Amino acid sequence: MSTVIECQNIVKRFGNLIANDNISLKVNNNTVHCILGENGAGKTTLMKIFFGILQPDSGEIFIKNKKVRFRSARDAIDLGIGMLFQHFQLIDNFTVIENVILGREITKGIVIDIEKTRKLLKFYIDKYNLGLELDKVINELSIAEQQKVEILKLLYRDSEIMIFDEPTAVLSPYEVSHFFEVINSLKSAGKTIILITHKLSDVERVADYVTVLRRGKKVYETDRDKLNIDEVAKQIVGNIAINQTEQIERLNYNEGEIAIEINKLTLVDKGIKFLSNLDLKLYFGEIYGICGVEGNGQKEFVDIIMGLRKPTSGTINIKADGISLVPDDRLKKGMIKEFSIGENVLLRMKSGVLLTRTKSQRVADKIVIDYDIKVGGSDVAMASLSGGNQQKVIVAREIFIDNKILIFHHPTRGVDIIATEYIHSKIIEQKKLGKAIILISSELEELLKLSDRLGVIYKGSIIKEFEEKTIKTKNNFLIEKIGKLMIGIDE
Amino acid sequence: MNRRFLINSISVFTSVVITLLITIILLIFIGKNPLEVLALMIGDTLFSGYGFGQMLFKATSLMIVATGLAICFQAAIFNIGAEGNLYFGTFISNVIAVSFRNLSPLILIPYSIIAGMVASMLVALIPPFIKVKKGVSEVITTIMLNFVLIYIVNYFVLNFFAVKATVRMEKVDDSLMFMKLFNLWDFLKGSSVNILFFLGIFIALLAYFFLFKTKLGYEIRAVGLNETASKYMGINVNLIIYLVFLISGALSSIAGLNFVMGYKGYFEIGFSSNIGFTAIAVSLLAKNNPLGIIFSSLLFGFLDYGGLAINSLVPKEVMFVVQGIVILSIIAVDKIVNRIFVT
Repeated sequence: MSTVIECQNIVKRFGNLIANDNISLKVNNNTVHCILGENGAGKTTLMKIFFGILQPDSGEIFIKNKKVRFRSARDAIDLGIGMLFQHFQLIDNFTVIENVILGREITKGIVIDIEKTRKLLKFYIDKYNLGLELDKVINELSIAEQQKVEILKLLYRDSEIMIFDEPTAVLSPYEVSHFFEVINSLKSAGKTIILITHKLSDVERVADYVTVLRRGKKVYETDRDKLNIDEVAKQIVGNIAINQTEQIERLNYNEGEIAIEINKLTLVDKGIKFLSNLDLKLYFGEIYGICGVEGNGQKEFVDIIMGLRKPTSGTINIKADGISLVPDDRLKKGMIKEFSIGENVLLRMKSGVLLTRTKSQRVADKIVIDYDIKVGGSDVAMASLSGGNQQKVIVAREIFIDNKILIFHHPTRGVDIIATEYIHSKIIEQKKLGKAIILISSELEELLKLSDRLGVIYKGSIIKEFEEKTIKTKNNFLIEKIGKLMIGIDE
Repeated sequence: MNRRFLINSISVFTSVVITLLITIILLIFIGKNPLEVLALMIGDTLFSGYGFGQMLFKATSLMIVATGLAICFQAAIFNIGAEGNLYFGTFISNVIAVSFRNLSPLILIPYSIIAGMVASMLVALIPPFIKVKKGVSEVITTIMLNFVLIYIVNYFVLNFFAVKATVRMEKVDDSLMFMKLFNLWDFLKGSSVNILFFLGIFIALLAYFFLFKTKLGYEIRAVGLNETASKYMGINVNLIIYLVFLISGALSSIAGLNFVMGYKGYFEIGFSSNIGFTAIAVSLLAKNNPLGIIFSSLLFGFLDYGGLAINSLVPKEVMFVVQGIVILSIIAVDKIVNRIFVT
């Protein structure tokens, strides 16, 4: 079997963060190659390098054993590579046919040869059983159908190598089975498919080869014959360093005061159920970890607690004047990047009428020293800080405003190891002060290290809670169990 | 901050030079002597007391409206509705001023001004209400509201308030008129510039302080820069949207008084002559910074009156073309200058 696409020693950095750390990978012709890993493991970065959107800092790419250099996606497309992104690249008000041919129209003179185009697309639709109507407008289609339009686009562009970025994340179980039928028919037509996913069930169903990435490194590789799902699951999460001395004593929450009490919280929006009967009790003096695959209602849960969205039903009782939040997306939700450190802090405070430069500089100086933030000057815009330092500023700010309840949502995402350790120590410090803390993360290691209690969130409800005693064991059995709960398997 | 200021100065200076060059080419193209035209224009505005006063007079309204709009634009609210607000608010001011003639000017002046402001603020609440409740872009609602307000006012003026056989209302009492500046400085003799000019400068300075030195001002700019983050940082975004519309509504109404109580003494159909739209350009030219607006409104006042001054040589519409060129070259030059210096 021949190699169709191959990369050698790919390195890609974003500031201090190494997204791809010396990755080498071979994809064989006419196979389905699954790439697995946690969020932030470097899967999408690697695929964007394959597709020419990102250029590696070092390393080489070979197509059919010929070395290539992509300057843009155009170069990759010309060599028969196509990519289906998580966010579809479709024009909502155009029809299927218009979207598919856009940019590469079959013409007769100066007009589009609509008959020929139709014939060709009909042929593809029948051959791969896509079941699309060419004249429907995109915004009338379901997500699954839109995905098929994207696949049709790849076929129309003669892509031989198709990269799918988490295609099943947006599909219902039934749609997933149909999607895999399409994948299989693509494979029997001779295409090569690279499938990015973090669902183990996807792997079991279609993978010929599996590669696992973790923190930017390739950590595991296997083919179908030797495939062992348990092993793959373990590789995704990684070996968790168990450090008993790290254990921090906590206040006994049974005697602690309740900080937040949530009863049967449900959120339904536009027919989609984001939260369903979620129950949760948070006590002062504890860290409650919420663990789950992204998209199981974590964001909506945070929005409701912060008062930014109204639940459909259920009650929330919050025993504090304000809640601090380190949001999951620091650039989008955490800061005004054009403003300085001090301005970002003062803006978050309730008090004060004037916001002068002296005032903001004073706050910034304090935070820069207390949190050891590397910065050119305390007056510079947040945008000029590295990701890790930006995150430290946000953590510092949320602690500085001194609320009794704190929520940390992916507090260490895209942050290097040293900053991660530092942020962890600050979270623990807050707990010792008797604050109530919710930690939402998809990193099991982080959750097991910090949490006093741990809830697994799946499809908008906490399906299982683990108590302190169980968490402390940190044995492989527990990790496996949590891993399975995260994808909805409760044994 | 100083570097920023330097970069902005370079870009403004360069665009003015470019505009001047294009204007010269334009004048040559239509067969005029550019030196003669420019000499007349500059001489009649900058070196004539009357012309200078008229330039300040034209700049006054622009300055006040543009300051209000700048506050909206800083919040990324693209409010096109100043023209309608100005028209409506000024109309109400005039109605109050002529309906209660027996009141003392000490009461009637603030009463009519405040009534106009309140009226203008009330109608200014419509676009943010629709935006907040239904998510409709303020660009559409404000443009449409302009037409609605202007024609409603015209209807009332023509049917109930107009002096017979004219399109204007009754003149307000002389005691209500703003003091003309030539009472202080003789050389401005005959020009319409009045104390509102100083109020305009004061408003711009105040707005600068508000936007850049107060927490609320920071919140407004935060919403403009990143609405989502603002929400997560605890800023009430909807409240900010209402607030900036209210401020711009109030200021628009004051600007209209420059004509009614500063110049003619009465509301006249079409008096606003697109001040509310020109002010958009004035604000954008100053990058929505109220300090810059003082200068950009003076520039537009200069072009506006300069156009009249050279009307004997070339049609005054040439100056509208120049206004357009100024804006285009600022936008283009700004991008280029920023690319060169900010790397």
